[in-house]
Amino acid sequence: MGGEMMEEEKEPEKEVNGSEIFKEFKEYSVVEFFKKNRQMLGFAGKVRSLTTIVHEYCTNALDATEEAHILPEIMVKVEELPDEHVKVTIQDNGPGIPPSHLGKAMGMMLAGTKFHRYMQQRGQQGIGGAGCTLFSQITTGKPTRMRSGLGDGKVYECDMKIDVKNNQPVITNQIEFMGNFRGLRVEAEFAEVKYDKSEHGVYEYLKRTAMANPHAQITLIEPTGEKHVFQRVSDRIPEKPAEIQPHPLGITTGDLVDMAHRTDSRKLSSFLTNTFSRMSSAKVEELAKLVPTVNFEKHPRDLKWPEAEAVVNSVKTLKWIAPPTDALRPIGSDQIDKALKNILAPEFVSVSERRPKVFRGGIPFMVEAAIAYGGNSGRARSDEGRGGDIIRYANRVPLMFDGGSCAITEAVKNIDWKRYDVRDFDKEPVTVFANFVSVHVPYTGTGKQAITMEEEIVGEIRYAIMEVARDMQVYLRGKVREMDKETKKKIIMRYVKELSADLADLAGTGAPADIEKKLVNMIETKYEKIEGEAEEAVEEVKEVEENEKEE
Amino acid sequence: MKKKSEKESSSEVLSKLEGLGKEMLEDIDVGEAPRFECPLRSRGNILYDENLGYIKLGEKRETRTFLNVGQAKKFMQTVAVASKCKKFLKEDSHTSIRGLFYQLKFSLGENVDEELFSEQSESNPLVEDLEVALDVKREDLNLNTDRKGVVAGNLVLKDKFGGVTDEIDCSKQGRSGWMIPSDVDNGMEFVSVDANYVIVVEKDALWQRLNEDKFWKKENCILITPKGQASRGCRRLIRKLADTKLPVYCFTDCDAWGWYIYWTIKTGSMNLAYLGSDIATPEAKFIGVTMRDIVDYDFLGKLTIKTKEVDLKRAEEMLTYPWITAHKEWVEELKTVIATKKKLEQDALQGPRLSFVGDYIREKLEKKKFLP
Repeated sequence: MGGEMMEEEKEPEKEVNGSEIFKEFKEYSVVEFFKKNRQMLGFAGKVRSLTTIVHEYCTNALDATEEAHILPEIMVKVEELPDEHVKVTIQDNGPGIPPSHLGKAMGMMLAGTKFHRYMQQRGQQGIGGAGCTLFSQITTGKPTRMRSGLGDGKVYECDMKIDVKNNQPVITNQIEFMGNFRGLRVEAEFAEVKYDKSEHGVYEYLKRTAMANPHAQITLIEPTGEKHVFQRVSDRIPEKPAEIQPHPLGITTGDLVDMAHRTDSRKLSSFLTNTFSRMSSAKVEELAKLVPTVNFEKHPRDLKWPEAEAVVNSVKTLKWIAPPTDALRPIGSDQIDKALKNILAPEFVSVSERRPKVFRGGIPFMVEAAIAYGGNSGRARSDEGRGGDIIRYANRVPLMFDGGSCAITEAVKNIDWKRYDVRDFDKEPVTVFANFVSVHVPYTGTGKQAITMEEEIVGEIRYAIMEVARDMQVYLRGKVREMDKETKKKIIMRYVKELSADLADLAGTGAPADIEKKLVNMIETKYEKIEGEAEEAVEEVKEVEENEKEE
Repeated sequence: MKKKSEKESSSEVLSKLEGLGKEMLEDIDVGEAPRFECPLRSRGNILYDENLGYIKLGEKRETRTFLNVGQAKKFMQTVAVASKCKKFLKEDSHTSIRGLFYQLKFSLGENVDEELFSEQSESNPLVEDLEVALDVKREDLNLNTDRKGVVAGNLVLKDKFGGVTDEIDCSKQGRSGWMIPSDVDNGMEFVSVDANYVIVVEKDALWQRLNEDKFWKKENCILITPKGQASRGCRRLIRKLADTKLPVYCFTDCDAWGWYIYWTIKTGSMNLAYLGSDIATPEAKFIGVTMRDIVDYDFLGKLTIKTKEVDLKRAEEMLTYPWITAHKEWVEELKTVIATKKKLEQDALQGPRLSFVGDYIREKLEKKKFLP
């Protein structure tokens, strides 16, 4: 047992007893499980389902190329077929999958390579390539066509289905031929999905993926035949994330049950010390004292959900040495800078540089924030203008849904944008970019589309964004200064009428019309007196922020 | 800044406002950009005056002119606020700064997509600018602040309000005491003050305890509670009582919030640095509760509670203020809190018996056990 499907089972509704699910699961057919848990697996809604499919394939491609140290080139093609079927073709230039493993990787649920390792990786999200194979099969009855090349002159192709009773790949129409193709190409047909260009759709997903992966070249061919190329702007392949043991503070009950059921260790105590970082036998003894009802000598497989829950709760009450921070893999400020300039062609970009922080008393995380102004920044609004846009990432995977309950959205909302000369965030061409980097991303739910609003997380994200917002303000103020005299005159003119009336009232003498005439005359003729200053006002903002911190 | 007279008559304030407008008109007449000058209120111009014993504004000033693109709107807004306050004074009507904001929230014209004010956060600082520029208080501009705080004791005041003059005897206010108004200057004067000292009690609950025990009668003192952080009116009243040569003693919790309340009463605050001389009472003394009380009163040792993060942070911060670290007693107190991570509430004094609170104050005063 184990694998990606099970992973989705972690953090189920609290009322469900975990061990029950595990027992019953064996008797479920995979299809049954899939159908019952579609939403949890990201297949809720037609648009979201398609985004999830593209996400699964893309993530696999990015992780595989990264591992093989190849600069990724990914092509995604979406076609609309009759009967509202949609065909998705995705091709990468990765290392390919040997034919002997292809069935396991794409035709067997719960057989991913990622789940058995613990590192800051894009994956561990949904259901993997096999899940897509299954989704295609249950919505259209058709197999998925695979092509794999290892770059050794031979290319392998086959049709793939899943024998849902036995969870085994069913491979047909295999051929092998000579060719230079290297990588993986998947062609699958789906129903109950829909292509559109909304902010939750495939186009937006790939654009955001490109923004966080400037080393990748991503091409999208839309159903209309329109082709979009998100150009590679960096030749630097991200460093491989270091594999580290999970830290006890980051563990959830679901994780613990799941890992306990997969371990080779024979005792619960040795399972704990072998699996988790900073978990010494002394710590296990401490834990054992806190939860006397749990037998730490028994086989980990016999760990029940309530017992795991008690262990997890007790873990939180103990003091732990913090996990190492060197496992964090940020995108890097120069990479983000390049990517945003490339995709958004903005007038201005600023990227934060902040040090790692910790949450929940010991889990390291880091926030990378950036702001882009002008050009194609922001989102298109119905009235043709552009409005503020928030693009969220966890470990450089775009978070496309559930924005309302995400710490990043909350942080943006908590900022007083007027301070940064953004009068109305929803009406300015601004893109706020935030990447939450951590080995443990505290998602709000199984959909893994939002980060929980914990105070220290929201606070750090907010400070990171404020840092870049300040730079943007200096830029915007500079723009005002650079404006030609005519524009400056126009701005001042707006205020003449009101000022004249109030001034006459205040002084108790003079006629408003008379004052107005003199002021207009002064503005028209005395060019040299008109000026504008930026720095002074920026200083003011910093001060307000300092005061705020003090409170 | 000169010491303000207790009562700035409304006609004086009116002529100050008109004078401001007239100067601007003169600038315009000679072809100069109209300007508004006032002392700078930002952090860089706030300092603690060791001799005077309170926080005040420095000498730096800022000038706003209408022909500066970055300042034009703010300049116009400043004049709008001044003009509106003049109207309130002429009509003899009062409102809050929120009321003022709503009076000024309107569009600048049909073809201008902009409002005079769209947020109260824009108008609030301009009111403060006017206060410093004209050397008047908000209340002098007919702008009320929130009332907070209660007083009882042998204090009689005259309150002229709405054309009627009432005499208020703070010794005859029963169980609830007299609520301190937002303005204790305009139309307000002491008739008689017959007390030995003033005691300021942080919490209303303790004030009620002492009132029920007839503490102020027995001790012949004036009993005040600011109910937490002291409002402008409450701080002004304490200052005015101190001006009648009464000693002022503060009695708060031994925690971050309590200390902050005490130091705000004593030295004023950064936000209201421009009012320093009017609302700070540097001669105030702190009678408790202190960490040393735990040594003197055994039972208190068992009644401490754990500090919160904010208490420790505030304590650390207070150790960076030179006006606090000048007193070794306070340094010791603060360091004890940081080291033991414990704090003490004034309510704990009711541990042995309810009326012990009064005995505690009496003993402290007799033995002159207070902190500077």
